[in-house]
Amino acid sequence: MQVYTKPKSIKENSSFTFCSGCDHGLVIKLVAEVIDELNLQENTIAVASSGCSVFLYDFLDVDCIESPHGRACAVATGIKRATKANKNEKFVFTYQGDGDFASIGLGESLHSALRGENITVICINNTNYGMTGGQLGPTTAMGQITTTSPTGRNRAYHGFPIKAAEHIALCDGTAYSARVGVYNIKNIINAKNAIKKAFECQIKGLGYSFVEVLSSCPTNWRLSPSDSHRKIETELTQIYPIKVFKDITND
Amino acid sequence: MNQKELLKGNIAIAKAAVKCGCSCYFGYPITPQSEIGEYLSAAMQERELGYVCAESEIGAINMAIGASSTGAKVLVSSSSCAISLMQEALSYAASDELPIVLVNVMRAGPGQGYIYPSQGDYNQTTVGGGNGDYKIISLAPSNVQECIEMTYKCFYLSQKYRNPVILLLDGLLGQMAESVELAENTYPEIDNSSWVLSGAHNRPSREIHSLEPNQDKLNRHILDLNNKYKKIEEEVTDWEEYMCEDAEYIITAFGSLSRHGKAVCKYFREKGLKFGLFRPKTLYPFPYKRLNELSKNLKGIIDIEMNLGQMLKDIRLAVLSNTKISFVGKPVGDWLKRDELIYAIENVIKEDYASIH
Repeated sequence: MQVYTKPKSIKENSSFTFCSGCDHGLVIKLVAEVIDELNLQENTIAVASSGCSVFLYDFLDVDCIESPHGRACAVATGIKRATKANKNEKFVFTYQGDGDFASIGLGESLHSALRGENITVICINNTNYGMTGGQLGPTTAMGQITTTSPTGRNRAYHGFPIKAAEHIALCDGTAYSARVGVYNIKNIINAKNAIKKAFECQIKGLGYSFVEVLSSCPTNWRLSPSDSHRKIETELTQIYPIKVFKDITND
Repeated sequence: MNQKELLKGNIAIAKAAVKCGCSCYFGYPITPQSEIGEYLSAAMQERELGYVCAESEIGAINMAIGASSTGAKVLVSSSSCAISLMQEALSYAASDELPIVLVNVMRAGPGQGYIYPSQGDYNQTTVGGGNGDYKIISLAPSNVQECIEMTYKCFYLSQKYRNPVILLLDGLLGQMAESVELAENTYPEIDNSSWVLSGAHNRPSREIHSLEPNQDKLNRHILDLNNKYKKIEEEVTDWEEYMCEDAEYIITAFGSLSRHGKAVCKYFREKGLKFGLFRPKTLYPFPYKRLNELSKNLKGIIDIEMNLGQMLKDIRLAVLSNTKISFVGKPVGDWLKRDELIYAIENVIKEDYASIH
C-alpha cells in the first residue's frame, strides 16, 4: 500500500496561508517534491521575491533569501557566482510572480537568461498583481478587467501583455523554457515534469532554465476556484499556450 | 617590507580588495571609477572568482546581496548618480545585515552632473537614500595609501558588524597616482558560519528576509539594528587631529581636501595664528564627541568642503551653540586651491588677520 506523505522539503507543522483556490500552494508542493526526488534539499539556496511568492520561505524547508522586488535573478546570480567562486556551488532557483519577473524585474530576468546563468526560475503567472489587490500587470490579458483597468485592458491605455516563456526561449543562454498549467491532473503532472526537467538542466550545468506556471487568483479574479481553473483552461491557454518553447536537451 | 608602487586610487582599491580575499565583484561602468571594474575583470577571472559586468547598478548591488548571503566577501564600485540607483538594495542589505563593501568615487551632481571631482555625496552617504531606520558605515580616505588601508578596514568592519560599508572618495583621489605600499591585510577573519546560507546540511534551514508581517517582531528587529548602530558609534568612530592641541581656529575637512587644509594650517601658523585641522575618517559614525571637546576654547571653526556645506550640519550638531562656524567651499571642479582657501579664510577671520599685519 502506498501512503501519501507531505514532501520532506515542506516545513513541518506549516500550512499554506494563500487564499482559497490559489495555485501557489500547489506549485510550492510540486517544487518540494522535485527537490526531494533529486535529493537537493541540503544543497539548495532559494530566492523568494516580492508579492505573494515571498512567503515561499514560510513553507519550503531549504535555505532561502528574499530579494528586493524584481531583483530575484540578480540575487540568484550573486549566490551562484559566489558559491562557485568559493568552491561550494549550490543549487539555486528563484520563485517569482509575473509582475516581479516580467515587469519591474524584466532587466534582471532577461539579462540573467542572456548570460546563461546556471539558475532556475519558477514564475507564477496569474495575470495580475495579487498581493496588492489585483491591479493590471505585465501579463494581464487584453480585455481583462482589473482594479486599474476597470473597462478591461486596452491598447490605448495599457498596451500589450508579455509572453515570458516565449521571450526567454529566444535567449541564447536559455537551456529550457516552458509554460505549464496546474488546472487539471494531467497538467499538474506535466508541470511537475517540467520543473524537474528545468532543475536537471541546472544540475547538468546547461544554463538558464525557466518554467512559467499559469496560475489562478480566484480572490482578485472574483471567481470560484473551479471557475478560475476553467478560465485558465478555456481562455488563458489560448493566449498563453501550454508548450515547451526551448529544450536544448532535445538538440 | 613591500616595495613602493605608483598606483591610482582606483587601482589601489581594486588591488587591496583582491589582497583581503574579496571573491566577488559586480559592477557597471561609470566614470570616474571604471578602472576598478576593469582591473578586477582580469584579476578575478585569473583566480576563477566571481565577476559580472552587470546589466545595471541595480543588478550589480543585488548580485552583491546574493553573494554576501553566502558569506562571500563582495565588492561593488560605482559613482554618485549610479549610487542613487542602489539605495533600495542598501536599505535591504542593512535590514538583512549583509556585509557588502561599496566604493563611491564621487562625481559632481545633482543628476548626471559631470565627472569633475566633488564631495557632493556626503548627505547621500551619511543620511542615505533608502527607506527606514538604517545606517551605513562610511570611511573617507584622503590619499591613495589610505585608500588601501581603508579598503582592508571596510571589509573587516562590514564582516564584523554585518553591515554595508561605503568607501567614499572624490574622483580626483580615484584618478590620482601616488607612491604607495600594498601592505598585508592584518585584520582578523570573522566567523560567519552561524548565519550564512550554505544549504541546510546537518542544521535547520535558514531564512534571510526583511519582510516581517508581525508588528512586534518588526519593532524588535529595528530596535536590535539600532542597538548595533550605537555599538558601531562607540567602537568605530575615527578621526585625525592635526596641530589641534593649542589651536584657536580649527579647519574641518574630509577626504582629499583635508590635505590642502593642512597646508593652510601651516601658512597661518607661520603668520602667528594658531590653526589646526580636524578630519573625520569615519563620516558615519561622525566624531561628534571629540569635536565638541575641541570646540570649547576656539575662536572659530572653518569648515571646507567640495560641496555647499553638507558636513556643516554635523559640525553644527557637534559643537557648542556659541562657537563661530564659517564655511568655505565650492561644489564642482578643480580642487579648491590652497591660495583660494587662504584668501577665503582671511576674509572669515579678517579682524584677527588684520591685527597681525
